[in-house]
Amino acid sequence: MSPIVEIRLVAARELRRSIRSVKGIVLGVLTLIGSVLSILICTWLEGRQREKLGAVSTDAFVELKRQAIEKSTGDASLASHLAAVPTSLLLFLKITIWFGPLLIALLGFDTVAGELQHRSVRFWTVRSRRSSFFAGKFFGLWALVSCITLALNVIAGVVVVAKGYVGGVALVTWGLRFWATSLPITAAWAAIALFISGMFRTPILGLLSTFGTFFVLWLFGLGGFISRVGDMLESGEAKAMSWYEYLYPNAYDEMLLSSDPRSVVTALGILLGFAALMIVSGSALFMRRDI
Amino acid sequence: MSDTEAAKPESAPSAEAPAPPAEAPAPPAFAPVVAPRKKKKKEVEAAVRLNKVTKRFGTKTAVDEVTLKIKAGSVYGLIGPNGAGKTTTFSMMAGYLKPTEGSVEMLGFAPTQVDELRSRVGVLPQDAVLPANDLVGEFLLHMARLQDFPPEKAEEAARTVLAEVDGKDWWSQRCGSLSHGMAKRVALAQALLGEPEVVLLDEPTAGLDPRVAYEVRQLIKGRRGRATIIISSHNLQELEEICDAAAILDRGRVVASGSMTELTASSEEVHVKLGRGTKTTGAPWMQQVRDLKMLKRVEIDEERTELVVYFERKETDAETVIAHVLWILLNAQVKISGVTKGRGLEQRVMDLT
Repeated sequence: MSPIVEIRLVAARELRRSIRSVKGIVLGVLTLIGSVLSILICTWLEGRQREKLGAVSTDAFVELKRQAIEKSTGDASLASHLAAVPTSLLLFLKITIWFGPLLIALLGFDTVAGELQHRSVRFWTVRSRRSSFFAGKFFGLWALVSCITLALNVIAGVVVVAKGYVGGVALVTWGLRFWATSLPITAAWAAIALFISGMFRTPILGLLSTFGTFFVLWLFGLGGFISRVGDMLESGEAKAMSWYEYLYPNAYDEMLLSSDPRSVVTALGILLGFAALMIVSGSALFMRRDI
Repeated sequence: MSDTEAAKPESAPSAEAPAPPAEAPAPPAFAPVVAPRKKKKKEVEAAVRLNKVTKRFGTKTAVDEVTLKIKAGSVYGLIGPNGAGKTTTFSMMAGYLKPTEGSVEMLGFAPTQVDELRSRVGVLPQDAVLPANDLVGEFLLHMARLQDFPPEKAEEAARTVLAEVDGKDWWSQRCGSLSHGMAKRVALAQALLGEPEVVLLDEPTAGLDPRVAYEVRQLIKGRRGRATIIISSHNLQELEEICDAAAILDRGRVVASGSMTELTASSEEVHVKLGRGTKTTGAPWMQQVRDLKMLKRVEIDEERTELVVYFERKETDAETVIAHVLWILLNAQVKISGVTKGRGLEQRVMDLT
């Protein structure tokens, strides 16, 4: 049996297991409630923005947005590209990827650690290569998170269309694009969560370590963001990201949304490469450990 | 301790299991439904080989230079008290633990060569918990698919093996809702899925009620001749009943090994339990027994009120010895509580560990 078939079988089972588990159901419901609240807030903000600029034409509204994005990112091409995007959907994307790591940490901390704790893993390792088992767990977790984010985007899309902020075509193109943007980012987070989960036999240690690691990465992102805002306020120009900000997977969202294919490919390469590195190294450690 | 012969210290901690008994195996209760796509077999005489295997956990040596060679087709027991290294040895055979030193071979491959051993080895781990949210059928189906059963045959195989452990009604039950005994049998079902050539069973009847334990033993016996079965257990009576051969472990080392007949010395000595209050000192029947030419030695274990007679297995057999000794005792109207061939595995283990 090829490793790909093994990975597919393990991933499908992992997805089914997560959806059925109490934890999966509770987190799913909470995430959906959170997403409804978030999109309502986003549309309310967009509504207020539109009210404020009520006298301005649509073109002028887009131009104002373009200027604001260019000022905050320093990327004129990105600003032109994103100016036409529904604000509420863009805000929603930011919220989704900001909360994504929290969801992934809660879903993924016991993915391997739980199996090691109860030794259920022993039923699998006589039938599946350990590397396939590990990779299957990753794809199962990633698929679950991707399904949840897709559901969130659908909910957000329905609300935005109902509010009349976006048409059907724009929703499908931008909605899918935003969802696709979240995929490599969640892949990187899921890979980190799985790497950590494979190192512990006690899930609570996995949870604490995952939160700790995610928090450190978030601090890198936050530190870089504060530094850039400071620079912008001082000089009036946005500067490039600091090196340590690149360690924070969420920092790649702008590159992924860029109109420049090279930026998109670079961001994709880095995020997916990082995820692959975590899976390969996590898998190598898992293969060597006693279970 | 009785004044019977002290246990022979076994200098070389190695063991070779004898071939299975010559008699034809019982016909299987369930014919294999369909074989999964198994890899090309490597012809091996020994199903499992451990060569000077050592396992250390930090400074603690759990298994110390254990060498075993388990012949294909035999039912082999791993025996020993708590902490003897049985489960560690078992776990190294199953590939769960990596030996610190030495090597383990399963059907000619390292236990971690999953693709080569897929469907050829079934394992019942002692304390692995079934996935609580899975339905029993779903779990077995998934295991069958991972064993490379074609999708259309996987369910048939899973249902058959579940029926074999008497659990055909559990197909749609959640694993988390099963009782201990039911869960154990489902775990046993996954180990037997696909007619594996080697079945490793760690404490297969632990925690089961006597009826279920009996059924599980029958199930294992039913596999005799169809697979090499390796059982790690505390239940010595069970092992004595099921196994062809065994290795006794103590403090991580093999202290004795061989066929069950050799281990229990059932072809070399007979124990006659005498009735309470039987006088042995100076009794005329004692001399009559001693005068039997077929006997090598006669001893009395005062503490147990037991008569122990030793004989040369090449010259006579246990049944003939029993007949002669009992004839003398019955004529002398000595009360007899029981007769056993050999020391019994339990006594042997007590002597050695």
